Amino acid sequence: MDGSMEFTMGLSEGVAWPWPIAVYLFLAGISGGALVVALAIRFFKGQTANTPLYKAAALISFVTISLGMLCLVLDLTNPLFFWRILVFYNFTSVMSLGVIALCAYIPLTAVLCLYAFEDEIKAIPALSILLPVIKLLKPIRRPLEILTLILAVSVCAYTGFLISALIRFPLINTAVLPALFIASGVSAGAAASKMVSVLVFKEDIHSSELKLLHGAEWPIMIAEILFIVMIAMSLATGNEGAQSAFAAFTSGVWANLFWVGVVGVGFLGPILVNFFTGKTFSHSAKAFYLSGVCVISGMMCLRLFILYAGQTYAI
Amino acid sequence: MSENIERRRFLKGIGAASLIMGPMGCTSVKEDSNNANKPHYVMVFDQNKCTGCGECKQACNAANNLPEGVSKCLMEHQSGGVEGQACPHCGKEECNCERKFVRVSCQQCKNAPCVTVCPTGAAHKDPETGIVTMDDSKCAGCKYCIGACPYNARFINENTDVADNCDFCLTSKLAKGELPACVQQCKYDALVFGDSNDPNSYVNKLLAVKDSVRMKPQFGTEPSLRYIPVVKLGV
Ligand code: SF4
Ligand code: SF4
Repeated sequence: MDGSMEFTMGLSEGVAWPWPIAVYLFLAGISGGALVVALAIRFFKGQTANTPLYKAAALISFVTISLGMLCLVLDLTNPLFFWRILVFYNFTSVMSLGVIALCAYIPLTAVLCLYAFEDEIKAIPALSILLPVIKLLKPIRRPLEILTLILAVSVCAYTGFLISALIRFPLINTAVLPALFIASGVSAGAAASKMVSVLVFKEDIHSSELKLLHGAEWPIMIAEILFIVMIAMSLATGNEGAQSAFAAFTSGVWANLFWVGVVGVGFLGPILVNFFTGKTFSHSAKAFYLSGVCVISGMMCLRLFILYAGQTYAI
Repeated sequence: MSENIERRRFLKGIGAASLIMGPMGCTSVKEDSNNANKPHYVMVFDQNKCTGCGECKQACNAANNLPEGVSKCLMEHQSGGVEGQACPHCGKEECNCERKFVRVSCQQCKNAPCVTVCPTGAAHKDPETGIVTMDDSKCAGCKYCIGACPYNARFINENTDVADNCDFCLTSKLAKGELPACVQQCKYDALVFGDSNDPNSYVNKLLAVKDSVRMKPQFGTEPSLRYIPVVKLGV
């Protein structure tokens, strides 16, 4: 008998979470991803100096997560109520857990910036008030970096868990979403840090660190593609609601965004630039930036697609 | 072998426990009866009786001071002619389809996703009645609950800038010992409200004799709103 009656209307119109949330998911992914790659390389190679990649990642993660917070706050129905999220907690809520992680993560990205730019800060007299802080924090640099690495992964993952908890939307309510968000966050974060390290901090495009990153990019991209295929397959072969949500991939404006933005720009773009152009071009600075921009735009499209197409195809 | 030993030990354990628990019976009995008395408020919507007059909605808006154009409950017109409107089922202005309406409102889930996801605890269950309601002073307006509600039964109240849902008039009518405004207003007895844990309540008796359904049971939210559908073939 259950199910012999339905209603199709709802009390709220449009999507509950509009584009600023997609931008936030994008920025948080880049922030976490940038630190994951920089810190992983740092630990892996046993570095102690402030490399260009480390500086770039520290700067990017701090700036992007701060902008992301701005998006989050501005998307509240009344931004002046944002303090309530900081004061009241509910431990069954992924958002609440995310707030706890962010409360530690955001100050830590700032601390990493202090470590990374110690020399620069010393050179600017106006910033000398920061020097005692740096001195105080220096002895615990390693433990703080390890903690930051853990939190960076958590931030990437939590953005996935945050929205996968929305049971009404088959495209969003999948177990692989957090994994997909970690993978795409890491690849976009890596691309962003690579570009900034070359552009701003004068890293050599062919340095050993960037080579290592180039090598890691492709497996991550393959993982991303696999996760997307998993989601699509589980929808295509799932129950009625899931099958109707599969239309997100095949028709409408969001399908275009997916095929052009995510697949075309995000996946095929870098592959074409790196493997199907002449050696001189594919090793040039132009190709380097072009493929980086492709990866980052692809990730933004992916977040927009998941959020909008996901909320459009409700059960 | 070991299973037998386990069982024997288990039985012995029960014996010992009952010896110890026996004298404490009074306290535990008291607690049990307290639990049994905990109400479970349900609302029954009878589609056979609803004419779609919409007065329940008006009464709700008045009782809960809702701003223009905002409602805690809606009537979805599913089939049958209404003067000047095409039938949503067959598309014709004049048709023989049965007139059918259905109430759209918060389903008062026992296992409520909106309560689980709310980061501040603003969307919560009233501890006395178990009714899902709002603590406006805690809501940050993040709209997580709106996305999480499988019934799309939540909205932002423009008066307060925070999320809202039908809470059976918990603070407006129930607090005064009255029935929810919509139930009071319905002339056709299409809405019935009461405590399904009370064996003598009318809802209890009604649910015992009528076949009722719950919306989207596959979500496992265990709604407290029951619907008695029109069961006729053809439409
Ligand atoms: S119907 Fe929606 S708003 Fe009402 S209790 Fe269930 S999840 Fe919450
Ligand atoms: S909008 Fe308010 S009630 Fe809803 S989840 Fe956010 S804080 Fe909780």
